[in-house]
Amino acid sequence: MEKIGKRGLGVGLVFGVLAIVGAVTQPAAFYQAYLLGYLFWLAIALGSLVTVMIHHVAGGAWLLVGRRIMEAAIRTLPLLAVLFIPVLLGMRYLYVWSIPEVMEADRYLQMKEIYLNVPFFVGRAILYFAVWIGLGWALTKWSYLQDSTKDPLLNQRMRIASGAGIVAYVLTATFASFDWMMSIDPHWFSSIYGPIFFVSQGLSALCFLLIVLVKLARYEPLSGAVTDDRYHSLGKWLFAAIMLWAYLMFSQFLIIWSGNLPEHIAWYQRRIGSEWKVLALLLTLLHFFLPFIILLSRFVKRKAGILFKIAIGLLIMRYLDLFWLIVPDLHEGDFVVHWLDFVVPIALGGIWLSVFARTLKDRPLLVLHDPRFEDLLKKEEGGRHDE
Amino acid sequence: MAKDAKFREEALGQVDDMLAPGQTFASIDRDITDLVLTKKAPKAWWVALFVSGILLGFLMLAITGLFFYGLGIWGINAPVGWGIAIVNMVWWIGIGHAGTLISAILFLFGQDWRVSINRFAEAMTIFAVSAAGLFPVLHLGRPWLVYWFFPYPNTLGMWPQFRSPLMWDVFAITAYVLTSAMFWYLGMIPDLAAMRDRAKLKIQKVLYGIHALGWRGSALHWHRYEVAYTLFAGLATPLVVSVHSIVALDFATSVIPGWHTTIFPPYFVAGAVFSGFAMVLTLLIPIRRVYRLEKFITLRHIDNMAKIMFANGLIVFYGYLNEVFFGWYSAHEFEMYMIWNRMTGPYAWSFWALIFCNGVVPQLLWLKRIRTHTIALFIISIIINIGMWLERFVIVVTSLHRDFLPSSWGMYMPTFWDWALYLGSIGFFAFALLLFIRWVPMISIFEVKEVNHKHNH
Repeated sequence: MEKIGKRGLGVGLVFGVLAIVGAVTQPAAFYQAYLLGYLFWLAIALGSLVTVMIHHVAGGAWLLVGRRIMEAAIRTLPLLAVLFIPVLLGMRYLYVWSIPEVMEADRYLQMKEIYLNVPFFVGRAILYFAVWIGLGWALTKWSYLQDSTKDPLLNQRMRIASGAGIVAYVLTATFASFDWMMSIDPHWFSSIYGPIFFVSQGLSALCFLLIVLVKLARYEPLSGAVTDDRYHSLGKWLFAAIMLWAYLMFSQFLIIWSGNLPEHIAWYQRRIGSEWKVLALLLTLLHFFLPFIILLSRFVKRKAGILFKIAIGLLIMRYLDLFWLIVPDLHEGDFVVHWLDFVVPIALGGIWLSVFARTLKDRPLLVLHDPRFEDLLKKEEGGRHDE
Repeated sequence: MAKDAKFREEALGQVDDMLAPGQTFASIDRDITDLVLTKKAPKAWWVALFVSGILLGFLMLAITGLFFYGLGIWGINAPVGWGIAIVNMVWWIGIGHAGTLISAILFLFGQDWRVSINRFAEAMTIFAVSAAGLFPVLHLGRPWLVYWFFPYPNTLGMWPQFRSPLMWDVFAITAYVLTSAMFWYLGMIPDLAAMRDRAKLKIQKVLYGIHALGWRGSALHWHRYEVAYTLFAGLATPLVVSVHSIVALDFATSVIPGWHTTIFPPYFVAGAVFSGFAMVLTLLIPIRRVYRLEKFITLRHIDNMAKIMFANGLIVFYGYLNEVFFGWYSAHEFEMYMIWNRMTGPYAWSFWALIFCNGVVPQLLWLKRIRTHTIALFIISIIINIGMWLERFVIVVTSLHRDFLPSSWGMYMPTFWDWALYLGSIGFFAFALLLFIRWVPMISIFEVKEVNHKHNH
């Protein structure tokens, strides 16, 4: 892990230099690539936050071995808040409504001006990050505290905070999705957009968790704890997340396609009525059908090696999905791919991963004194199967 | 030590035991089968049967009136062509969803606590979906031609419109009824055999014997049973989502403001589960009291059901907020008017009552005290049932009565015949459910034994 951290930092710096060169020479392309990369890595941290909260509320054994990994991802949220600043700097390249002349010329945009204006946009972003960082800080702190105090009542505290936290997360993530992604085309709207955004985040986080877990499971202390049963339950969640993603995306498509109203359909015309349809097809096949068919099998869900590959593939698809959602609107449907679209996300990823690796190292990798974990170990020593 | 374990369970948020302690195989057998085989029906059962019998009379009356006079006796007219008949249909289908969720999804996720309630909830599903099926058929105007829905070669050269979600409904709901019924029956076979073996009267022996399909409980039987049950659970799971998603598409694929919105499918599914769990609680809380089932249906079950209901309630509430936000954000004349009309128009009462029932009241469920207080929960569950009915009323009626041209606006009020059919469907549902609890074991005997073995030994 340390190696990944160092390598990540190296890659981050090298690509970072390239990215800065790009920022100076081609700001429009840079900011677009930055938003893509930023949302991709943010999804892992935020998805981890909501997954951990769901685990606290719903219970069960499925996340016990992976919780510390997700908690490390959550603890990178302050870094991500800082990394949001360039998005603010590049607003005029990303969000047409932030340009006063555009606003003045458009009667419909003026109706939304109370919501779509720069100060409120910044204020909302600050609020979102305050909520996310606050929740993440409390939950990871209590989890760490339990290592030393062994107090089962901390579970109660984490559960209550998570219950309210999920509500707070859903509301903030919904509006964040409107602000950061949907308002790129300020005329278009879809009420299912928020759910698509946070389900995708959960999916990204699960994939990332599986990748790290499979890598770390070779070493102590995880080698003993990560059994096939653990993979199986995470595999089920991954399966469910893919289906949910496809369900939401398909619902949106079917309803808009079938209504075929001018104010809605233009968004799809840019995405499937143009060269972008290749990407749409690719996403349908590789973001849904292929992993769906593979993960149907119980055998696969218990095989670390296969899960690892699926998770990597899906993360790539996550990036392409963001690409498909964001880029067509910035080029009026023209098929444009820029070298910065790959350089900047890698630069951000390098930096993020190095911080993640360092964060992960600070704390024990297992939540040894969570009473549920103790029960689980007892059960497994007793030789009984637990799904 | 025991106290310590209890403390830890509480810290983990678990209320009460899964099953009351001190039960044996024999006592479970006896407690559940005696309700059907030897004990007399309690007085409350007779009262309920009597009342639901009267309501069933309304059903007969409503259908006779409808066939005699035609659809004109309902309140529907342009522009509101879908009245409370469709509201009722959606309401009933939604109620059915809890059964499938409990029996299939909770099974696949290995949630043991489902065993005390799954049989009952599944029976509820079947009767609710049957009640739902009445409405669209009667709404046809010429219900005797209902078979035209199905694609079959005919001399009329007629073929269903497969692009219409109304057509998908036919298939989705038919598949749903059939799968649920088979799943329910399959899960009951071992228990029917147990009934056969414990029956004293000849007639009971013969009838339960026939329906037990020759079950002897051999290892092979059990093996086949487990495989079949898991397969059915896998098949039923997508149905939970697909049926109500398609019902949502009935509305959303149109271009009516208030109907054409992308959040509808997931929001309808959550609403269905919400109302389904509310109905399970409305029914189980009194039944548990009357039949003294506290041993099997403990506070943990009640609490868990309340939690699932609450989670889905929050999703539904999120859907309402979403609709209001987008009504404004759309900057679209008709969308904006639609949401404004909902909140301040002639049907504003239904919107605000809905927000109260489904948005405000369920917030009480944050508290564990409320979730485990059966009387409070019973009242809340009834309020939610009403709220979910109102939700469909708001969607169907307020969206239709004022759409685009003010000259085509109109008002809708259900007539006596609309209400008679609605009451009649409640009568049908209750009557069937009462017969079910009288004739077959309403709790799954062998599954409870299994869980009892795992947890209390």
